[in-house]
Amino acid sequence: MSFRNFALKAVLAAAALSVALPSYAADPVKIGVGIAKTGPFAPAAIPTLNAYQMWADDLNAKGGMDVAGTKRPIQLVVYDDQSDFTKEAAIYEKLITDDKVDLLLSPYATPFHFAIVGVLERYKFPMVGSTAASVQLRTIKPGNIWFPTSAIPDKMGPELVSLMKKQGVKTVSISTLQSPFAQEMEKYVKAALTDSGIKLLSSQQYAMDVKDMTSIVSAIKKEQPDAVLSLSFPADSILFMKAAREQGLTAPFQFVLVGPTADFFGKIFGKNLDGVMTMGHWSPYQTKWPKGMPFFEAYSKKFNQAPDYLDVALAYMSCEITEAAVAKVGLDKEKLRKEISSTTFDTIDGPVKFTGVENSTTPTMFLQIQDGKPQIVWPPKEETAPFQKKGPWVN
Amino acid sequence: MDQIASTQLLLSALILASIYALVALGLNLIYGTMRLLNVAHGDLMMLGGYFSYWVFQLVGIGPLWSMFGAVLLTAILGAACYLSIVRYVIGNRELAARLEANSLLIFFGFAIIIQNGLSMAFTSDPRSYGYLNSILAVGDARVELNRLAVLGLGTVASAGCVLFFQFSRFGLATRALIQQRDAASLVGINADRIQLLVFCVGFGMAGLAGSLVSMTETVTPFGGFPYTISAFVVIILGGLGNLGGGILGAVLLAIIEIYGVALTSAAYRSILLYGVFITVLLIRPQGLLGRSAR
Repeated sequence: MSFRNFALKAVLAAAALSVALPSYAADPVKIGVGIAKTGPFAPAAIPTLNAYQMWADDLNAKGGMDVAGTKRPIQLVVYDDQSDFTKEAAIYEKLITDDKVDLLLSPYATPFHFAIVGVLERYKFPMVGSTAASVQLRTIKPGNIWFPTSAIPDKMGPELVSLMKKQGVKTVSISTLQSPFAQEMEKYVKAALTDSGIKLLSSQQYAMDVKDMTSIVSAIKKEQPDAVLSLSFPADSILFMKAAREQGLTAPFQFVLVGPTADFFGKIFGKNLDGVMTMGHWSPYQTKWPKGMPFFEAYSKKFNQAPDYLDVALAYMSCEITEAAVAKVGLDKEKLRKEISSTTFDTIDGPVKFTGVENSTTPTMFLQIQDGKPQIVWPPKEETAPFQKKGPWVN
Repeated sequence: MDQIASTQLLLSALILASIYALVALGLNLIYGTMRLLNVAHGDLMMLGGYFSYWVFQLVGIGPLWSMFGAVLLTAILGAACYLSIVRYVIGNRELAARLEANSLLIFFGFAIIIQNGLSMAFTSDPRSYGYLNSILAVGDARVELNRLAVLGLGTVASAGCVLFFQFSRFGLATRALIQQRDAASLVGINADRIQLLVFCVGFGMAGLAGSLVSMTETVTPFGGFPYTISAFVVIILGGLGNLGGGILGAVLLAIIEIYGVALTSAAYRSILLYGVFITVLLIRPQGLLGRSAR
């Protein structure tokens, strides 16, 4: 064989190999996400995306995702929904039909989940949701979407009232942001207060673009309630807490719906966060859930801030559930649907099993910040620390 | 009713008014002088806020010092924006004929660049820091020191700006430009120079407002828009281009927000606010202190 022939054959062989190799090497598992990278929801949505990214990076570092026994690398395909839920359906349709993703992760916030239900149904594409919470979730036909949260207002309302009763609360004042979730919460708290023995002193709603809550807190302070419920979102939660601190609101039971577990709250309020109650059903300090603390530490190290105890935990749980289901049955949609609907999954938040679209194993819980750490204080069988009365505000 | 007479509410109204006034001043200056709708104004605020946050995190220097850097940074940006884009648009006869509409597009683009630039540099996570957050008793009220600092510095900066434009030679020339653009040029006023300086001052005021507000609120790349809206409400209420009117508009807005809520319900805040806004425009379309176009 002449050198020329040999070289030609070698080049052809190499070319043939290079064409053939990818079919033997593992193709990436394409996972699609539409999420708010820009716009007003972006600050809250980015930690959710961080959780997805951390999960993907970790799996890739370990050799990839286990797809029914075969390890394949993960490729996240992420589109910015620009905080506009009317764009979400088109994004998820593109992910399914154009990008031909193998799996989907969920967008941020309830309206964005609702926006894609029709697309998931049309393409029979199963997806585990994350940061959606509303009694309306139960109106969705089960089969292609599941919600790991246990923070549903019609369950939280009665549980919160039970907790207040146990702490000897006799009077309560409520302020509520005019947003669907907060208003749902207000509705179910007020319903549970009827015949509870706790007197509702006042309940006032305020608009989303509020810039100062001095008047609201001033009126509440005058009523001297045992409990104050601020059914607020992060921006107005800050305004509420600042006004409460300035005016020295002394109610021993102070509940702020969304915000206190976010990292930046600690930076603003420091020791003054201690004693504040909030919604949430995850804590890394729960020793029953051994995956919790390693996740907390890994996230804190990677992003230089603690994970939000609600949104980030839910986002990561959705990844864990997807991962476990794919490991068992692969990427077949029908098998995935059956697997997710029927299996109990081990997550950072303990075991999760779905009944219909709802997480039916994780109980409704409440957190309280104690020494800077969010601890589970309700229900008693899940508590990581006993409830403490809110102490005086620190100057 | 005793709640209405409390120092707590009065202080809160004054603090809010000082923020609104400061935010609106820069917007008012640029619109008054050149009829440019700077919809990136709130984003420039966030830029100033991020600058102070970054300096505090990096070297521990608070916004009482870093606000000068924030003003400088945004003023330089204002100069760059004027020299590179606005001057060309004003100088081009065709583009100048649609100046207000064009300015909306230019500043909308500018806003997107700032938002995404900040998002890339700092991520979209809300940023905040604790600074001057001890509580001070003022009469029967208790207020965070940083809010008092916002009140003091905001008032000084706003009053200084208004006085400067009222009594200085430069201010006189600017007002002449606002009132009669062509006549002002005919009597030898250098419109180009004044416009450049107005851009620097207008942008700088936004940077200052952002730096001060970062002490009391979180900053996010997309958090500027509500401030832009508030600033537009304030300057339209007070009279477009009228700096004193802008301050009056800011005080009125803050009074509605604090006392309107205290007297009625927090649920009525937006109804009260925009109700007064529409009423004022129906009675005085030119704003409270604006001149009617005749």
